[in-house]
Amino acid sequence: MISLRTDLPLGGDSASRFIPWLMAIMVFLGILSVSGVAVFDTILSGWSRAVTGTLTVQIPALSAINEDSANQARTDRAVAALESLPSVRSVKVLKNTEIEALLAPWLGDAAAIRDLPIPVLIDVSLSDESTAIIEGLRTAVTTVVPDAIIDDHRRWFEHLIDLTEGFRLLTIGIALIVTTALALTVVYATRASMAEFREVISVLHLIGARDIYVATQFAKRTLSAALKGSAGGLLAGVFTQIAIGLLASNVESGFLPDIDLGFGFWISLPLVSLAAAVLAMITAYITVLSTLRSMV
Amino acid sequence: MQISKSSESTDQTSALELDNVSLSYDGGPNVLTNLNLSLPSGSFHFLTGASGAGKTSLLKLLYLAQRPTQGSVRLFGTNVTAAARSALPAIRRKVGVVFQDFRLLDHLSAFDNVALPLRVANAPEPEIKSNVSELLSWVGLDEYMDAKPETLSGGQKQRVAIARAVVNRPRLILADEPTGNVDDTIAMRLMQLFMEMNKLGSNVIIATHNEHLVAKFGFNRLALENHRLSELPPLAANGAQA
Repeated sequence: MISLRTDLPLGGDSASRFIPWLMAIMVFLGILSVSGVAVFDTILSGWSRAVTGTLTVQIPALSAINEDSANQARTDRAVAALESLPSVRSVKVLKNTEIEALLAPWLGDAAAIRDLPIPVLIDVSLSDESTAIIEGLRTAVTTVVPDAIIDDHRRWFEHLIDLTEGFRLLTIGIALIVTTALALTVVYATRASMAEFREVISVLHLIGARDIYVATQFAKRTLSAALKGSAGGLLAGVFTQIAIGLLASNVESGFLPDIDLGFGFWISLPLVSLAAAVLAMITAYITVLSTLRSMV
Repeated sequence: MQISKSSESTDQTSALELDNVSLSYDGGPNVLTNLNLSLPSGSFHFLTGASGAGKTSLLKLLYLAQRPTQGSVRLFGTNVTAAARSALPAIRRKVGVVFQDFRLLDHLSAFDNVALPLRVANAPEPEIKSNVSELLSWVGLDEYMDAKPETLSGGQKQRVAIARAVVNRPRLILADEPTGNVDDTIAMRLMQLFMEMNKLGSNVIIATHNEHLVAKFGFNRLALENHRLSELPPLAANGAQA
């Protein structure tokens, strides 16, 4: 329990009134930043899990009408070629209903899709996805079906990784900027408070108070004010997360991946709030100590 | 007591030594020039001098609010001019100061103001309560313990300031016009308190313009004139030098 007894009249000074608001805003922004990082991490790892060790082979539909038997023959040749390769773990030809389900969000109901020349999709699971293996697989398939398309996911996935990594770094940068802004503002507020109570500090100094004694009093009051503010910022941040989650759940599945941030994320939010308050306290403490050193 | 002319005093019993001390502010003219002084433990002095003679500047040097421009100040055997900044709080706790303008903390009660020197020294609360209550009773403020300074008269504030200066039984008490705002009865009572503290071993230096007070109590005088310090014998009750 923090004793709030103080020899400094810090309760009514401008810094004590200002710091809770500052903390609330900074913690709110900090929580949004942390959430951003968590969301991008979750999306990346989900995508990574989904595509690792897999690739897709597309067998384009022949343009001629009533060529179902020819399409089936091309598919069979491709599957046979794939299954003959030692690095292929499994081969699965997607059913029409599965393909229709994938396309439904963009193209509407299944009846309309059935009239389109939809390619056959083959999911391939690999035990080794090195470039040489994939090139070998490409050669084997295109030998039997020359217009087959091998989509090893990695090309587009690498671009997505770059994009999401960029967003992730951006949110980390924002978190760092918020942290720096918080520290600098606490320094300014503490100095303003010290100027306001210059006479009181001087008297304490002259009756033998050590710098640590004065700094501890400022630090205690700053922590108290910061905890109040960061609790407000935490509540606002959590409500915002819940609101965004509800809005996201209303979006048609398929456009957005399922994002389960997990228990660890929710536990981290109060820790962010607490860390911000502790940072403010330490900043105030160091600021007071360094300012007092200029006294005799 | 003697005025020391030596720059290297070896008197181990000295509570206070000044060695060629001069002071000027921001490169201006000297307000104190070549002060030399050695006070033995247990001394009691009045510090006299006209306004602007440098009494307050001298007191500032002694309660470590100022460092001399030249020379050295030695308190209780420690050269405070050369001492590390971190060593000064411990020395300041051995010095009790009654400021001319009291410098009480307005947001604290009379009790808490007096308790400050004990609190900064981490004294236990029961001891603080006992000592502060006793002292406030002694200076006649037992009914004003919870009063804030703004509700007290000038004399009452002065008594709180004096109680704060002596509550931790300092080895050196510096008082700047401590009886300036109180009536004669209270003034006598406060002087009695200073003398009690002196009997207990504290050195006392009282800066005052009050010649009546100086004559009545007959202690040695430190006179500041033209920025220089000299020791004078006690003033007789009729105003003549004893």
